[in-house]
Parts: sequence; C-alpha cells; structure tokens
Amino acid sequence: MINLKTRFFGLELKNPLIVASSSLTADADKIKAFADNGAGAIVLKSVFEEEIINEYNQIGESKSASHFDEFMDYFDYKIRDQVLASYGRLIKAAKEVSKAPVVASINCVSAGDWLQFASQVQDAGADAIELNLFVMPFDPTRKAEDTRRFYIDTVKEITRRVKIPVAVKISSYFSDLAAICHELDGEKLAGITMFNRFTSPDIDIEKEKVIEAGTLSSENEYLLPLRWVGILSPRLKCPIAASTGVHEAKHVIKMLLAGASAVQMASVFYKKGPAYIGEILKGLEAWMDKKGYESIGDFKGRLSLTKAANPALYERAQYISSFGGYAGS
Amino acid sequence: MNKIVEKQRLSELVFKFVVEAPMIAKSRKPGNFVILRVGTKGERIPLTIVDSDLENGTITLIVQNVGASSGKLCALETGDYITDLVGPLGKATHIHKPGTILAMGGGVGIAPLYPIVEAFKKAGNRVITVLAARNKDLLILEKEMREYSDEVIIMTDDGSYGRKGLITDGAEEIIKREKVDECIAIGPAIMMKFAALLTKKYNIPTQVSLNTIMVDGTGMCGACRVTVNGETKFTCVDGPEFNAHQIDFDEMLQRLRAYKNEEDQARKK
Amino acid sequence: MTDYSEILKQERNAAWRAELRNTVQNKDRINIERVHMTEAEPHERIKSQTCEVNKGLTPDQARREASRCMDCVNPTCIEGCPVSINIPKFVKYIEAGHFLDAAATLKEFSALPAVCGRVCPQEKQCEAKCFYTQKMKKDPVAIGYLERFAADYERESGKIQVPKVEKRNGVKVAAIGSGPASLSFAGDMIKFGYDVTVFEALHEIGGVLKYGIPEFRLPNSIVDVELDNLRQMGVNFEKNFVVGRTASFEDLKELGYKAFFIGSGAGLPNFMNIPGENLNGVMSSNEYLTRVNLMYANQSDSDTPVLRGKCVAVVGGGNTAMDAVRTSKRLGAERSIIIYRRSRDEMPARLEEIKHAEEEGIEFMNLANPIEYLPNAEGRVAKVRLQRMKLGEPDASGRRKPVPIDGDIVEIDIDLAIVAIGVSPNPLIPACLAGLKMSKWGTIEVNEQTMQSSIPEVFAGGDIVRGGATVILAMGDGRRAAASMHDYLKNRYNL
Repeated sequence: MINLKTRFFGLELKNPLIVASSSLTADADKIKAFADNGAGAIVLKSVFEEEIINEYNQIGESKSASHFDEFMDYFDYKIRDQVLASYGRLIKAAKEVSKAPVVASINCVSAGDWLQFASQVQDAGADAIELNLFVMPFDPTRKAEDTRRFYIDTVKEITRRVKIPVAVKISSYFSDLAAICHELDGEKLAGITMFNRFTSPDIDIEKEKVIEAGTLSSENEYLLPLRWVGILSPRLKCPIAASTGVHEAKHVIKMLLAGASAVQMASVFYKKGPAYIGEILKGLEAWMDKKGYESIGDFKGRLSLTKAANPALYERAQYISSFGGYAGS
Repeated sequence: MNKIVEKQRLSELVFKFVVEAPMIAKSRKPGNFVILRVGTKGERIPLTIVDSDLENGTITLIVQNVGASSGKLCALETGDYITDLVGPLGKATHIHKPGTILAMGGGVGIAPLYPIVEAFKKAGNRVITVLAARNKDLLILEKEMREYSDEVIIMTDDGSYGRKGLITDGAEEIIKREKVDECIAIGPAIMMKFAALLTKKYNIPTQVSLNTIMVDGTGMCGACRVTVNGETKFTCVDGPEFNAHQIDFDEMLQRLRAYKNEEDQARKK
Repeated sequence: MTDYSEILKQERNAAWRAELRNTVQNKDRINIERVHMTEAEPHERIKSQTCEVNKGLTPDQARREASRCMDCVNPTCIEGCPVSINIPKFVKYIEAGHFLDAAATLKEFSALPAVCGRVCPQEKQCEAKCFYTQKMKKDPVAIGYLERFAADYERESGKIQVPKVEKRNGVKVAAIGSGPASLSFAGDMIKFGYDVTVFEALHEIGGVLKYGIPEFRLPNSIVDVELDNLRQMGVNFEKNFVVGRTASFEDLKELGYKAFFIGSGAGLPNFMNIPGENLNGVMSSNEYLTRVNLMYANQSDSDTPVLRGKCVAVVGGGNTAMDAVRTSKRLGAERSIIIYRRSRDEMPARLEEIKHAEEEGIEFMNLANPIEYLPNAEGRVAKVRLQRMKLGEPDASGRRKPVPIDGDIVEIDIDLAIVAIGVSPNPLIPACLAGLKMSKWGTIEVNEQTMQSSIPEVFAGGDIVRGGATVILAMGDGRRAAASMHDYLKNRYNL
C-alpha cells in the first residue's frame, strides 16, 4: 500500500501536493473543489498590502485634500481592519468546507505591520501561516543587510506571537541565499518554500508599451527551485517545499528526489482544473510502484547535493563542457 | 431630572428604586440598561433595567452600594431626583424558545437576570433558576424569581439559606440531570467566567451580561471594550450580552481593575 | 455664485468702503506687521485646563490688523472659506470701528463665529488664500483673530443681536445630536418659523464643542452663550435622549415631527488593533477627553476618575492628538509625548496648536509608529514598542507615505497611552433607521447640494456624512440642510 504522507507546515499532510496561494484559492467553492480532489493542503490567496493601498488611494481621490487630512491620516488602519475581517471570514468558510489543512498567507512588507493580524488569523482557525516574504531589490539604497534583517525580524516577531506553525515563502533574489536560509532555519520554522514567482514586465514592440507578461509559469521555470532544493535540503533542519514550474507528476518527483518534502502548484490548475490533482497523484504513485518505493521517505533526497552521485551539477553555473571549452585549450 | 417614586431596601447594601421615566419604560426591552448620574459632579454609571410599569411610566433599578457613585444613589430617598438618566441602552436579550433555560444569578447580578428570566418564561420555555449569595441576608428577588421559574435552587456560601456551595455546584447538578438548551449567567465577572467554563464542558450555548467600566454608554469612548472571539467589541453597543465561550474573561477582569487606585483614593476622601 | 460676486462688488463700491480705502494707502497697509496674539505664559497655563491660551485682540490691535486688508477687487479669501463668509465686509467694519456690524455680518453666514474664530484651520482656508499669502509671500491678514474679536466683542458688550424669527408655522422638526451641525441647522430653522427640538444623548449640550475641544482652546462658557441665544430664539433642547432608543423615529413622527436632521457626529473611536491595546492605561482620545472635558475628572470634586500618567504617549498628529497631549501635561505629566508616523511638517493639526504644544514642553517623536504595548505585572501599560519610519513616495492624499525602517524598533517607558488616530461615524443612530443608505465606512450618503438622505424626510450633515471633518464644514452642512429641508417642507405642507 503506497503511503504518500509527508510533513510540511508543521502538519502531517496526506500527500505532498499543496495548492499554492493564488486567485484559485480565494473563495470557499474553489477551495472545496481542491480539497475534495485530494489536495494535501491549501494555501489561501495572500492578503496583500496592495489591496489596502488601492482602497486608500480610491478614497483619497474621491475626497478633497486639506479638510480631510486628519480624517484620512490613519485611514489605512480602517481599511486594513476591513480587509482582515473579510480574510478572517474566508478562513472560517474555508475551514468549514475543506478536509485538507487551510493555510493563511500574509504578504509582509515590514515586521511590525502584521503582528495583530497573525493572532487574528490564528483565532479564525487557520492551521498554519505562510509568510510571503519578498523584496525586489530595485532600490539602490537598499542593502542586502536591510533585506536580511527584514526577513529575520518578521519571522521572529510572528513566531513569537502565534502558536500555530509558521512557514515562509522566499524569493531567489539573494546573493547569500544559503546563508539566509540557514539563519531562517534557526527560527523554528515549519517550512521554507522556494520560490516566490513575480509577475514580469514585457514589451509590446508594435504598441511600444511596457506590458505585463503572462502570469502563468512555464515549464522550465522548475529548474531554478530544483537546483536550490537540491543544494539546501540536506543542510536545513526545516522541510522545504518547491514552487514554480511544477506542472506534472514528473516535476513533483524530481523535487522530492532533490530533497523537497512537498511542492506548491498553482499555474497548472488554471488550465487543468482541480481534478488534475488526481492525475498527478496517480502519476506519482505509478512511478513509486514501478520503483518499488512504499513511502515518500524511501526516496526523498536521494539525489540531493550530499547524496547524488554527481552533485557538482547542482553547483555548476557555466556551460564550459557542452561547448567544447575555449578555442585555445 | 427623574423623580424617585419608591425606594426599598433589599439587603444591607442593595436598594431598589422605582423611577419616573415614561419614554424609557415604553421603549425598554429585557437586557437593556440605563446610564445615570447623581449630582452635577456625578459619575455616569450603568444599571440594568429590572422592570418597567407602562401605566405609571416608571422603571425599576436595583443598585448595590460599592463605591462613591453608587453610594450617592443609595443615599437618595423617595421624592428625590436623579440628575441625569438616559436609556434604554445596549442590545436587548435575544428571547426565543430553545426549550429549557438554565438561569444563573449571583449576588446583585440576580437583578439584571430577573427581566430575562421573565421574558424566557413568557416565551414558553422551561426555566430553572439557580440563585447564589454569600448569605441569606444578601439574597434578593427570590419571590419574584419563583414567579417566573419552574424551579429555583438557592446556594449560599455559608449555607445560611438553601444549600451550601457555589453557584456552579448547583448549576452542574441540573446540567447532569436534564438537558439544558441554553444558559444565561449574570453576576460578578469572576462568577461568569467560571459559569462559562462549566457550560463549555457540556457544550451548552451560554450568554452572559458584562459589567464593564463605562463612561458614555453610547459607543463613543471605548472604555467598555472587551475581546470576543478575537475581535474588539464595545459592551455598551455590541453587548452587554455576549457568547460566554468567546469572551476573553482574563482581559475583562484585568480591565475592571483599571481605576482601582483612583477608586481607593476616592474612598479615603 | 455670480449673484454673490455682484453683491460683493456693490458692497465694495459703497461709500463707506471706498472712503475707508482712501484713508490709508496700500503701500502703508502692507508695511504693518501682522498682529501678535497675546498668549498666556506657557509655565502658568499648563497648570490649568481652563485657562484659555489665546487672550484675544484689543480693539486697537483689531483695527490695526483690519487695516492691513486691502479690500481686494477680487477677494480670494472668500474662496478659502467653506461657508463663503463675506470676509472683506466684516474686516472693514472692524477697521471702521463698527464692531457690532462686523459681528452681524459674520452671523449672516456662520452660526458660531466665536467658535470658528478659535478652531478653524485658517492657515488652510481663508488665510491661505489671502492676497498677502498668495502674491506677496507675507503673513496674511489675521482673519481668524478678527473673527474671534468681533464675536467676543458682541458677546461681552451684552448687545447680542437675537436674529429676527419668523412667525411660527406649526411644523415640528428634530435635530439629532447637539454639535455644530445641528446647532447651525437649528438656528436657521427657528428663524424660518419652525418648531425645533435638538435631541442630545449626553447630559450636556454642544457635542464635540464641549466634550472634545478642551477649554484652553474653546471655553465652555462661549459655547453656552451660543446655546442660550438659540434657546432665546425658541429652540428646545432635550438632553439624555437617544433618538432611536429612548424613542424611535416612528414614535417621534407620532409626536408630530415632520422631518429630521441627523448631526450625530463621528463619535466612534478608532484603534490600531495592535497587541496590548486593551491594557489598562491605553485608551481612546474620546475617552480621555470626555472624562476631562465633559466629566471634569481632573477636578477633585468630580466623581469621575481619570488615569494620570507620569509619562504619557499620544499617538496621532491631528488636533485631537494635540488636545489630548496638552491635557495630559495639564494633568501633571512629567513627559507628554506625541508619537506620529510622519514628519512634523505633515502633521494635520492647526499650526497654532503645534506651536502652543511645543511652548508647553510637549515632546514630538516623529517618524515613529507604535506596534505593541507591553504591560507591567499589574496589567497596566509600561512600555510601547515603536517602529521607526522614513518617508517614501506620496500617497493618494499627496503626502509622502511613511515606510518602516526594517529592524529599527525602539522601546520607551510610558504609563499612559492615548490613541488619537481618528474617529468614525457613530453607528447607533443609522442602525435605527431602516432604509437609510450608508457608505461602507459608516457615513450617511446624502445629496451633496441638499444634504437629503435616501429617506426624503431625513437630512444629515457634519461628521456623520463626512467622516471626521471640521466644525466649519459641519456648520455649513447644517445651514444647507436647513435651506433644503425648508424647501421640502414648504412644498409638502403648503407653508
């Protein structure tokens, strides 16, 4: 009997397939569909600082300036309360319909912003919290140290405040990724998911405009998290989940072999719907059966940096051998 | 200015006042309270409306003398005037017919419990009432409660009347012997806390009526705020009754002590 | 507005105005320095909650200041006034020494000039539009001080003109709340001949003028004189009456009330919802100011207590925050600190309040924002953790958005915290009116011209419509509502 159990978010999940935070996990009906189709866990759509900013801007535009300075001054707090209240309702609704664990996702801009929110989310019944930490380093005055402190301080503050498990989802924009992960590892995290996926700009050459690139991940994007899962999984105590570009059962298996405990998927469900979970699980089971594995633990990490026969490929950055070296050598 | 038409002593520190307030008598429902002041330097204090008489245009208030402000009220006599009186405030009790109601009243909390017991009985429920006081002399409204209860159990700390024991002892016996659909508990905050813990064990939906500090009573200041189900609520407009199992009683108890130093100093004056 | 500009032109051409302009040349007018308001000495005034800081102008000071006004052909100052007071006219009356005429002019437009002269943010309104500010980059005419002067003069002279009141038409109308919006509504409706009753939930009339604004800014006696005027004109006041609870709107209709003005204000405190905010010693500015201003808790013979702190932190940067922090100083604090997340220049409070606060020894911690309160062993607040901020890009209000500086968190010892980050409309009254269209932020939606709500006989104005705004805007709303309600009732009841 094949056992797909794995541990992530501080919980035992019945399988490694986590439905990632997206607009697909923003209402109870869709969440129910994922849970019914066998998802191991569901991460709710993130509460974004942007929602609050947009709402605030709308009101600011509709009222004239000076008379309302005092009134508008802290209005973002009111908006935040409303946004959080409706998120609390989403958590409760999701818990009622989902057999799978429900994870709240908080998009953090600063350590102090979400302290109270974390407690509210816990009170609303979330099984765990995923802290969505990403900083796009486009600000020339922002140093690596600032980002590092942001990550560590935020994690410290929130884990201090709640009893439910806290995991983080990080970006890959680090010159010291391994060091950051190592430091995060010391904070009693219930998991690190690598990586966040950003919307990308693109250019329409006919209209000569900057546009948003397609929002869904393409297949080869899985290679980035694959490398880092392979490198970091043997070195970290806390479990790792891989995200971006995981579209088929084979990708799931690759990540598990590299050392991930779970994967997070979103893009593929836009095209294929929640029932696709069943197909992936079948594919995973079929491969395990073929190989004679009875549980995830039997093969997890077999091809990680410390275990693989040719680990150097994880760390190699250049293509030297495939292009036959330099002309003069 | 509202005239006192009747004053009666119910126990050493507890007084009943019948006060002229025709508009409040007409609009009030069980669970509502008033805020009143005695004297132009008086403090605004909340008191639950115990009863009302539409014909005579009066309301009944019961107050225990526990400090400067309640003391001033208790010192008034029939014919005197209460300086300011406003109401009815707070959300009325949700009266419905779940079946069997367990009503728990501790000390002067029996007074606000009375109109609720009356209303639940009139709505067709079976009402079992447990009343508790430190001793026989401090027990109030027994006769009135018997009128609207199918059964009344009395508990006293010293056993001088009824049975010796805590209100929760009496209540638990009833819960164990018959099905209770809903519980209402009103009394000192610590009593309500333990009543809630008791009924939570048995999964009985329970309402309590909170006696927080108040200033305006209309939702303006937040002095009466409590945490219910993780959210901040104002006792004066969202309450005074709340789902007992969702209340952060420890925080509420702590907030009741906010002015302890100031009150102690006032007593010394 | 064209009628108004016609009137302004005609008035400006009146003989006395032209003569007055000729008495002094403009080039001499502009050399006069703006008057300095006599103020109570900071060390003395912080010992008293009721000692008014601004002492008022003397008649000589007033005439001299008024002579700085050049009686512009195009008076831009009027554009800055939310109720378009005929500023040149009243200022010129003052210059001419006709102080009572100045007061009468003010009263044509504003129900409570003694109040507005003290609390209006003139630096953002009339004085911002004064020719001196706009074109010459010099100190504007002290229009606010002059308004106060005229109103005070009239009051102190004992010759307060009680405006003419039309014959009673037998129609009853009700105003809910007794703050500036309702008071100015009542003042107009009574003049039109209606039977007016103002219902107030608290035991004192005046709304935010009494419980909110401290006496060192706006003495209660001044408000009381205005209330007496209204009583003399025939307005009834019912205290301790919560419309919707004490009696329902239906009950009031049965008692004969034909229309209602809701001016119940923004009396719902906003909290930040940060950890520790429910600790003892952390309270809303509404609670703090109500205890002191309404219940006189700072006085020894009052039964109402107030928590006093040695080190008091007030969170916020508006007038309410200034009021709270300066009150705490008067209540004996050794340190009274403003904690505001933006810079000093961006604080929305009146400049004068900030200046007075500084003189009184208030400390300003700008670019700091509380994220948590920590208790002592007895459950009383003992520390506040602050996130330091820096200024980023401007937000919708045009001010630069405060952005946290990662990792920069400081702790300071306090024993009292007042949260003065704003207020919201009090939901009590709207909840009692089925069918009243509300915005999602709790304000009553009204037609902006007529102030009429979704229920035809119900009008509204002031903070319950605008969120938290100013006294002068509330008064403007009350007057507009009175005019439209009058039209509405005239048609309905053939008056």
